[in-house]
Amino acid sequence: MNVKETLKKTEEYIAERLPVDKMNYASMVQKKEVPVHRLSWSYYMGGLALFFFMVQIVTGLMLLFYYQPTVSDAHASVEYITDHIPAGGLVRNIHAWASSLMIGSVLVHLLTAFAMKAFEKPRELTWVTGILLLGITFAFGFTGYLLPWHQIAVNATKIGLQTIEQIGAYLPGAMSDWPRQAKEIIQGEASVGQATLSRFFALHVIVLPLAIFAVLGFHLVSVQLHGMSKGIDEKPRSMEKFFPTFFLKDLRVWGFAFMVLYILGVCLPFESLFSYPLFEPFDPKGSTPDGIKPEWYFFWVYYPLELLPLWVILVGSTLLGFVLMATPWIFKNTNRKTLQLIAIVAGIYLIIMTVWGENIYHLFKG
Amino acid sequence: MIDLFLYIGLPYIAIIVAAIGCYRRMRYSKYSMTARSSQFLEDKQLLWGSAPWHIGILVVLLGHGIAFFLPSVWSAILSVPMATFIIETIGVACALLALAGLGTLIYRRLTSARIQAVTTTADLLVVALLFGQVLLGVLSAMNFRYGSNWSTGTVVPYVWGILTLRPDMAYVTGFPMLFKLHLIGAWLFILLLPFTRLMHILAVPFQYLFRAPQIVIWNTTRRRRHAVAATAKADSRREFIKGAVGVTGATGLLAIGVSSKAINYIKGAGGDLEAESALLEKKLKRLELTAEERKYELERQRNTMILVSTYKELDPVKGKYFIDYAMAPGLAFMGKDCVPIVLSAKCTHLGCTVSSTLDANGKVMCPCHISYFDITTGQPNEGAPAKAPLPQIGWALVDGTGKVVVSRIPGQSPQGEIKPDLLAQCSLYITKPGKATA
Repeated sequence: MNVKETLKKTEEYIAERLPVDKMNYASMVQKKEVPVHRLSWSYYMGGLALFFFMVQIVTGLMLLFYYQPTVSDAHASVEYITDHIPAGGLVRNIHAWASSLMIGSVLVHLLTAFAMKAFEKPRELTWVTGILLLGITFAFGFTGYLLPWHQIAVNATKIGLQTIEQIGAYLPGAMSDWPRQAKEIIQGEASVGQATLSRFFALHVIVLPLAIFAVLGFHLVSVQLHGMSKGIDEKPRSMEKFFPTFFLKDLRVWGFAFMVLYILGVCLPFESLFSYPLFEPFDPKGSTPDGIKPEWYFFWVYYPLELLPLWVILVGSTLLGFVLMATPWIFKNTNRKTLQLIAIVAGIYLIIMTVWGENIYHLFKG
Repeated sequence: MIDLFLYIGLPYIAIIVAAIGCYRRMRYSKYSMTARSSQFLEDKQLLWGSAPWHIGILVVLLGHGIAFFLPSVWSAILSVPMATFIIETIGVACALLALAGLGTLIYRRLTSARIQAVTTTADLLVVALLFGQVLLGVLSAMNFRYGSNWSTGTVVPYVWGILTLRPDMAYVTGFPMLFKLHLIGAWLFILLLPFTRLMHILAVPFQYLFRAPQIVIWNTTRRRRHAVAATAKADSRREFIKGAVGVTGATGLLAIGVSSKAINYIKGAGGDLEAESALLEKKLKRLELTAEERKYELERQRNTMILVSTYKELDPVKGKYFIDYAMAPGLAFMGKDCVPIVLSAKCTHLGCTVSSTLDANGKVMCPCHISYFDITTGQPNEGAPAKAPLPQIGWALVDGTGKVVVSRIPGQSPQGEIKPDLLAQCSLYITKPGKATA
């Protein structure tokens, strides 16, 4: 009896969140409507992230034609792409810029979806898959950073992986060696080398894309099934049809994004934001050059990590991960005003740490 | 004498009369600056006359205008033979288009009773003169080819001479009669400008480009209703066409741009032998480096002792980098008591390589997060990001015969006799952790 009831409840729960009866052209495309209100702009952020992801697939495949993932050839092949392949520099630059823009739009998408309470029933699973996508996106960034095999790439990866090893200091007895072993499993050998490059390459071009396709597929289908969330407490000004009105508007945003990306790609080499010696090929025997830091999208955790004891960061990030995954249930009864406030505070924190993180670091550490 | 009148007198008379006349007409009779639309009297032939005529003549006049106002730009463009060819072709084609349109307009003006009723003598004069003028232009272009080129150096300075009060008719007196007539015709038009419907040239209706289309009709209720419907239809069609043209154009440009980049990218740098060989050389060098590193790795797996340097080469200030048994960097210094100092150079904070030069306090710095390590103890400074000391590495000093003279296991004091003159013959080796030195 009890088992039966539980089963029935589970079934109802899933049926509500995956309304397969709506899986048809009429309700997913023809009938879907998008509310028009003061926060409507945020309905474009997810699509924008999707667009940048598509750019990443295309440019990534193009780079794959010439890139060679071995410690001896990686840097030379990247240099060859940049200097000698027609439009190679452009393709690579677009890949770099689009990765940053993708993560940027993913973060904005996260904050706005939170502020609009887009995780409300029945959209809990959409939110959870979104958080998984966020993790995968960061993993893309971290693994891709190593592939050019220059000084900043290898050293930043070393530092990032070393952080895992440091966790060991907090574990008792034999367990204190586990993080180091975990690190070596990730990097494939005692220090970052060919095995690490091979693993990160495989992760970056095979494992993570497959993972993101699966999760993204679920995410997109459930967005289409449930329709756009209302987003605000008031009645929206009006509703517009998803197809073709909103779809065309989405395309317009994409067109604009492509223009921005192309202009950036042509005019501003991504690497011009760093000093040159960081782009010399990695030399395992030389000393580490100054100015090693991760990509900007890790600053929000990197600078606190530099300033505070590791355990604070560990506890903080575990808590953050838990809160993000459990958001639909934790904030079930929170009103939109409070959610907006939290999102704004989080946004301000991200901006401050990304833009002035280094200054804050020097303020405390000299 | 007649030349003097035609090429200098007539231009000045024309310009002065036109300037005063245009001013007066603009000032006192602003609403007469029009070509007096006859669209509602007859609109079928008008379309096929007016549109080609105006399109054709505007393009031709644009060519004349650029040559006149930007002669250097014009000749720069024409210096490309293909450009001259294209411009001449466009010019003649447009002039023929204009002639065809004008022909239609003349026919219409002469045959339609309604139009006849509103036609003045001046209108007929203008239209006939225009036909003649364009015909002369086309004939000049065909008989004396590449007029766009030769006129830039002759007609342009002549007209500028007139305008800057330094008339010089030497430029034009040698022209063939056909072209002279075209030139005189031009001045005649300027002279006639304020007295005829040509005045509408000065009333350029830019706002027409942006307003909704209008249809001129007799104003009755029935017609008005039709007109509203027609306007709405035309409006929506206009918007659709605008959108479609925009999307098609943008997509087309995007496709061309992207595919030109993408195709070339996939084709690759093929054929650039120098780049290929530079790449090959670079790769070879890196392969050698990698091979070297692999050799080190193998050496460390097989051997219980690895050579670091000779004893004599050790320096108390500038350390010598080597690769230890963990394939991580190590540093060897000469200690104060003539005993080597050998320690790991891998920062215990986040694994960066520490620098090899001692600072004034006898410490080496890790550049990543600024930790200072005392090389004698390996300890980091107070408050450094690194907490653990740099580990000492076991070493041995071996003389020329392969005998271990002095050795040290980390955490213990050196074993053996330290005699500087004997040690000078020795070399420093690191010893494999957990293996007894032979």
